[in-house]
Amino acid sequence: MGRLRRFLTAEEVPRWFGLTVVLIYLTGLAMIANMGISHARRLHARDARAASAHGLELLAFRIASIDAEQLGAASKAVVHRQLLAFADAHDAEVVRIVQGGVVVASTRPGEIGMAVADEPDNGGSASTDHRWRSEAVIPRLAGLAGSAGESRAAHLCATFSIPSSASQGFLSHAGTLSIILVFLGALFVCHRCLREQMRSASRVADRLTRHSKAIERDLDALRIGDAAGIDGVTESWNDLVELVGELQDAVRKQHADEELSSALLRAGSGSLGEAIDSLPDAMLHVGEGGAVEYANAAAARVLGCSVESLREHGLGAAGESDLGRRIAQFVSECEGAGGGFVSRSETIERGGESGDVGEAINVMLSPVRGGKRTSGCVLVMRDVSQQRRSEVARDEFITQVTHELRTPLTNIRAYAETLSSGMFDDPSTITECYNVIMKETRRLSRLIEDILNISQLEVGSIELHRDDVALRTLLEEAVRDVKNLAEEKSIEIAVVLPPKLETIQGDRDKLAVVVNNLLGNAIKYTPAGGNVVLGCQLSGSEVAITVKDNGIGIAPEDQRRVFEKFQRAADDEVQRETGTGIGLYTAREIVRRHGGEIDLISAKGEGSTFLVRLPHEPGRAGALNSTASTESGA
Amino acid sequence: MSARILICDDEVSIRRVLQMWLERQGYTVIARNNGAEALAAFDANEIDMIISDMNMPQMSGRELAEAVRERGFARLPFLLLSARCDQSRLTKELEAFDVTVFSKPFMPSRIVDTVRAMLEERSVGEVR
Repeated sequence: MGRLRRFLTAEEVPRWFGLTVVLIYLTGLAMIANMGISHARRLHARDARAASAHGLELLAFRIASIDAEQLGAASKAVVHRQLLAFADAHDAEVVRIVQGGVVVASTRPGEIGMAVADEPDNGGSASTDHRWRSEAVIPRLAGLAGSAGESRAAHLCATFSIPSSASQGFLSHAGTLSIILVFLGALFVCHRCLREQMRSASRVADRLTRHSKAIERDLDALRIGDAAGIDGVTESWNDLVELVGELQDAVRKQHADEELSSALLRAGSGSLGEAIDSLPDAMLHVGEGGAVEYANAAAARVLGCSVESLREHGLGAAGESDLGRRIAQFVSECEGAGGGFVSRSETIERGGESGDVGEAINVMLSPVRGGKRTSGCVLVMRDVSQQRRSEVARDEFITQVTHELRTPLTNIRAYAETLSSGMFDDPSTITECYNVIMKETRRLSRLIEDILNISQLEVGSIELHRDDVALRTLLEEAVRDVKNLAEEKSIEIAVVLPPKLETIQGDRDKLAVVVNNLLGNAIKYTPAGGNVVLGCQLSGSEVAITVKDNGIGIAPEDQRRVFEKFQRAADDEVQRETGTGIGLYTAREIVRRHGGEIDLISAKGEGSTFLVRLPHEPGRAGALNSTASTESGA
Repeated sequence: MSARILICDDEVSIRRVLQMWLERQGYTVIARNNGAEALAAFDANEIDMIISDMNMPQMSGRELAEAVRERGFARLPFLLLSARCDQSRLTKELEAFDVTVFSKPFMPSRIVDTVRAMLEERSVGEVR
């Protein structure tokens, strides 16, 4: 079965078919050659027979004439010579004259006087094509018989043959065979030369028949692998397949380009156009010479002119605004020497007063390719002002955090060296050193806590560990923490609490951060000698903690901003104080995660009141009795 | 007469520790809370050297240095303490005011050594 399959494989069938055709052809050739030779021989025999018959007639006539003129013995020798001459001239085996059944003259002298049995016949009958007899009648022949005066009719007989007809046949067959052999030899040599090419061609044919449908889908199936052996034909075939692949790609790309072009053409009125118009990013298709082929609504908004005027006047329409001018300049910078465009991206900033980034627009340009040449460019503009502001704020935050971290570290290091130097042995100095180190360690710890909180808030991983929180303890501890800070600035902190203060549900540490940040802020932005009041009230289902100061206050335009991450009020008095811009953001985020909110009531120069509202379920936790207390700084 | 050094920092504990170390070395120290107060003290006293923090409310260390140089004290030793991380950039920014930038956190002993070296350099310059 396997052998049959092998025999029927694409490589074997053409080989056997070819050999059969060649054999049939050679056999036909041999038959034709043989027929030709036979025919030629028959023609030759016919001509020879006609010529010999005619010659014999002439000889008979001549002998009759000789006989009439030369009677007697002399005529015998003359006739004999005539017979010999004829036999020689016509390749006759034997020529004889028979008279009355007896040979009277012959080219073979021994036959003379012998009786001839067979009867002479008229015409030239022949036994074969190669051997025949001819006869002619001599009406009167006297001299040869020896009997004077008696003249009788005689027969002139001759036997002819075409020499060695058998050997001629053999030679003709041998010639044909030789031709066939030479032809076969030539065929063998050709086969040897063409075998590899035929094999490759066969493989190609095989791939084509087996994978003809793959041309549309997978050209790799048509490719002949290395395992089959790579020769010139295979390599050319693989090149051809690759070329077909490239052509297919080119055609596909052309189709895609055409589809995109028609989509862009439809964009003006179709749903795609509406979609592009709704994009928050500005998009412009700029053609040759700055002509605007397409502009969406956001582009008109960013450039400060209408879509119609952009389409009518090109980028020049945007030239009146500073941003439009700079974008037009950017486009001309991206235009190469040959007229095409080079992909480029740039952030253009404008405005930006002191302390503010202003407007930042990121412009991306990429060339539009139509066929082999570029046809204009596409501009995508995105407002990255907020992102830019965040980056600047983040940089400022890092700078501030570094500063804030270094200050307590400086104190710790300096006072530690003071202790270890042994130069200061006064007990009050040593106590002072320990106190400062303790205080600065707490400060550092708080700062790290703030940074940790904000990083947790950033990634959303902050977790609240809810428990009963005694409000009175929480608030009093917070005041203790900032006591030193208040003392340095001679700020009095008043704590006003109701006599009965319940515990609430919440994350104690996180709520402590909130109160600490609000108190720290109040002290920082309240001039020396000012007042800070910390209060707490319970009303129904809500706890309200207030931190009120008589400090510099916050202008209305900054009141939202102070709660934003890394942002501080754009106020000279605020900027003079060091700060990271994370305290109020962290406080509000923590309160919001408790389900509450922070409100701000403030006016420039009139102090600020921060109101923390937290949800509370009365009776859920036990109440603690206490009296109002006041702590004051130095 | 011992050299008079003006210290200016809004952090009371830093003022205090510098004052302790410098007084122990025999210098006379005048300590102030911010740049404006320091400039007033500079105008009111004969000062041989200034040690100032960079970031302070009301008047920064840079503004103080600028004011001092504008008053004609071009060669007065000025040591600026900064908690900023880009010290080399800051040094370049303040090149015009001929100040020595020292970054926080610092060791008081190193400050004392630097103060001594700067004052000696100044006195050598004056002798010449």
